[in-house]
Amino acid sequence: MPLDNLVCGLLETGVNKLHQLDTSAKQKRKALDGTIIGVSLKELNKPLYFVISHQQIDVLSRYDGKADCFIRLNFLALLDLQDNSQLTGLIKNGQLEVDGDIKMVQQFALLLTEMDIDWEEHLSSKVGDLLAHKLVYHAKQCKKQLFKQSNKAKMQLAEVITEELKLAPGPLEVAYFCDQVSDIEKQVSALEKRLSHYSK
Amino acid sequence: MSEKQENTTHFGFKTVEEDKKVELVADVFHSVAAKYDVMNDVLSMGIHRVWKRFTIDCSGIRKGQKVLDLAGGTGDLTAKFSRIVGQEGHVVLADINDSMLKVGRSKLRDLGIEGNVEYVQANAEELPFPDNHFDLVTIAFGLRNVTDKDKALASIYRVLKPGGRLLVLEFSKPIYKPVSKFYDFYSFNILPKLGKLIANDSESYQYLAESIRMHPDQETLKQMMADVGFEGTEFFNLSAGIVALHRGYKY
Repeated sequence: MPLDNLVCGLLETGVNKLHQLDTSAKQKRKALDGTIIGVSLKELNKPLYFVISHQQIDVLSRYDGKADCFIRLNFLALLDLQDNSQLTGLIKNGQLEVDGDIKMVQQFALLLTEMDIDWEEHLSSKVGDLLAHKLVYHAKQCKKQLFKQSNKAKMQLAEVITEELKLAPGPLEVAYFCDQVSDIEKQVSALEKRLSHYSK
Repeated sequence: MSEKQENTTHFGFKTVEEDKKVELVADVFHSVAAKYDVMNDVLSMGIHRVWKRFTIDCSGIRKGQKVLDLAGGTGDLTAKFSRIVGQEGHVVLADINDSMLKVGRSKLRDLGIEGNVEYVQANAEELPFPDNHFDLVTIAFGLRNVTDKDKALASIYRVLKPGGRLLVLEFSKPIYKPVSKFYDFYSFNILPKLGKLIANDSESYQYLAESIRMHPDQETLKQMMADVGFEGTEFFNLSAGIVALHRGYKY
């Protein structure tokens, strides 16, 4: 049990530290002031309760009362929760179960996922403007490069598979094959018609 | 109970007159109040936060309930309870020591906690609250310093609502020998030195170590709770029994 407490403690400290850096978090917390939201991952089957107040978020591993809103979801759905437009879709295909106000879920998801943190600003107070700008600039460049490289790698891998090793057909081949199939389909249906004509 | 007849009690390993103990304990806490939180983190290596979290998990506290955080010191538990019970609920932070209470009050106000928290200077033996008033009473690292523990437990029992519960978080007896050895070494050799280094007060921390040894062990405290009327009493050993959480219900 103390392990749960440790996990809750770390989670709580992490979230609140990030919220301290985010200027808009206070406003978002105010919208949910005084609500208790239970979240349970289907894979773990261990509920966590988020007590939201205008001061901070408290994470509890046990709460004996009834939460204002209880969410059960798959681990994968956690990532999609960011996108409000997908919520209904998630509920429909059973990845997300909500017991309570759906609007609360949206606000809660927003509270946890959409953090507007100006790292450059916070960093500048520690290491100075110049260095902060350089660091953030290079970090952004690195991210861009990594993104580019990973895209390139994906494309190259696709080409190796389709063109060099011939493990999978290329897009044109697939299209040609599909055309051939539909041609045969047409011929077969024509043949069927003729046969049925003769058998009468 | 022979101590009682002679009107003496223990203050750490020393024996003092009963009416002196309150003053002596007060001196200790006047002296450590300012550095209390820092010292807690250093001495327990931050583990006291996990113990307190476990206490909150065992409290079964809900929105709108009334809580008494006895010997609440600098208000760690009060802060959490205040947020959980919400605006309809009510939390009373009580401590016998006004220095600790002042530190607690200014800390909680800085955190923006107000509205549902009250601060009361009170003696645990004579609680100034009506009968059947609280849903939950907690006393974290405080019972040890109370002169007459039975009287304090009875007083707590009185102010609890039927169905309410008492949580006592307190140092106890380690359940494993090696842990006990290390723990003794730590508390008599390292702890007072750290106290000297950080709070410039080794005696207070010497007292801390001694008072822990004089505190009743898990089973004794459980029996003491049952004796004043608590039902369903149980305890959980934390960190191999260095700390134990006792729980009892009033029905």
